[in-house]
This record gives sequence, C-alpha cells and structure tokens, in this order.
Amino acid sequence: MTDEPRDIDCMEVLDRLYEYLDGELTPVRAAEVQRHLDVCAPCFRLSGFESAYVRFLEARTRAQRAPPALRKRILEQMLMEGSSPELL
Amino acid sequence: MPESDTRRQTFEAEALPHLDTVYRVALRLAGDESRAEDLVQETMLRAFKSWHQYTRGTNARAWLLTILRHTFINQYRKAKRAAPEVDVHRIEPYTVFHEVQETDPEGAFFDRIVDDQVLRAIDTLPHEFRETLILSDVEGLAYAEIAEVTEVPVGTVKSRLFRARQALQRLLYDYAVEMGYIQRREP
Repeated sequence: MTDEPRDIDCMEVLDRLYEYLDGELTPVRAAEVQRHLDVCAPCFRLSGFESAYVRFLEARTRAQRAPPALRKRILEQMLMEGSSPELL
Repeated sequence: MPESDTRRQTFEAEALPHLDTVYRVALRLAGDESRAEDLVQETMLRAFKSWHQYTRGTNARAWLLTILRHTFINQYRKAKRAAPEVDVHRIEPYTVFHEVQETDPEGAFFDRIVDDQVLRAIDTLPHEFRETLILSDVEGLAYAEIAEVTEVPVGTVKSRLFRARQALQRLLYDYAVEMGYIQRREP
C-alpha cells in the first residue's frame, strides 16, 4: 500500500537527504528522492554539496592507525592472560 | 589444541582486525593519545576475557565498540575533557549551502581544510553527537549498528547525525572564512 513511489517536496528531500546519501533508505523511498532531484535544480545542487561534504569528512578522518607499540602491548597482554603458567 | 590457544587465534582473527577502528573511536572519545591508548588496551583486555560471550561470525566490530563505550563511560567520562564543547542546539540546523551556493556551490573550500583541523572541530561537539558522527562518518557504521552500539533508537541516531553534521559543517565553514579560504556572504 505504501510501496508505490509518490511525489515528495523539497522539505521532505531535505529531511531525508543524509539517509539517502548514506544508503539508508528503502529502494522506494530512495527512488522518491531521486525522482525529486531529477527535476528540482536547487535540491540537486544542495545534494551535490552535502554529498561532497560527507565524502570530505570521510577522507579527512580515516588516516589514523593504532600505534604498533599499542598493538604489541595488546598481544603481550593476551599471552599473559591466555597462556598456561608453564608457557610464561 | 589447548583452549587458550584457540581463544587467542579466534580473537586475533576476528577482533584484532578492528583495532584501528577501536583506536580511532577511542581517540575521539578520550581526547588525547595517552588516554586513548589506555582505553583501547583496557577494552581489548575486557573483550578477550569475555570472548566466550561473543558469537563467532557476528558483528565483532559493533561488539568491540560497545565494550569500548562502556569502558569509557565507566572509567573515563568522569574526568573532564579539555576541549570546550559547542552547544549544537544553538547552531541553526541549516546547511551552509545557502551561504555558498553562489560562490562555491560544490564546497571546494572544504578541501583546503586539513585533517587535524577537522578532527579538532569534531572534538568540540558534545559527547553524544561526536560519538554518533565518528561511528558514521569516520568508521562507516550503518544507522542500525550505531543504534546498537550507542543503545538508542535508530530515529535518535538519525537526528543526532543530522545535527552533528550540520553543526560541524558550520564550524568548518567559520574556520574556512577565518582562514580566508572563502569569503563570507554579505548579509
């Protein structure tokens, strides 16, 4: 019954935009957003801007890695915790 | 094979690959490297001790992040973080797009902002908004996974993420204006 795509307005697109960009909408709800973006220039431009922003956040925040010394300490900790006494 | 060796092998195979994720989230929660390392070490030790409670092949990342979060809340949150927190409710939840649509509609100014500055801005968000944003945008968790880890409904994740992203966008825009990367639109 609610599975048919319907026309949605700019406010609804704004409300759903991040879910749309994050791939969190059902195919029908995503199709509604897509259909609106196809015909509405301001929303299409906004969508491009927000999409660039989210991609920028991902690109700028994922470089850090756990320090090798920390990884080593955790492995040692597991050995201490998990081994029988004669192996220590 | 002794039970302890099996435990270590499965832990190494399923839990340790998520160490970078646990570390990055811990950094943003704890606020500095030294406390983050302690937090990660404590988290991984607790996870290893409780490994029998983890169901093989399920979501080890969400499982570890839940332990991290509980460890943080229990031990670290009482200590004051140094970074000042932004009041997200005072930030208008309107996209910066409206101010830059004539000068920079594609958001090219973002690209001039370096990693450190982005991370520093994230650190000024209030805890629950910062946590939601890093799980989503830094670690790429789905809304349902974030809801599981942070123990709130998916609708709350959605609204927190919306406000966090808009608040952060505003902070980064103000910074870009201050640095001269973009001209503020005349009112």
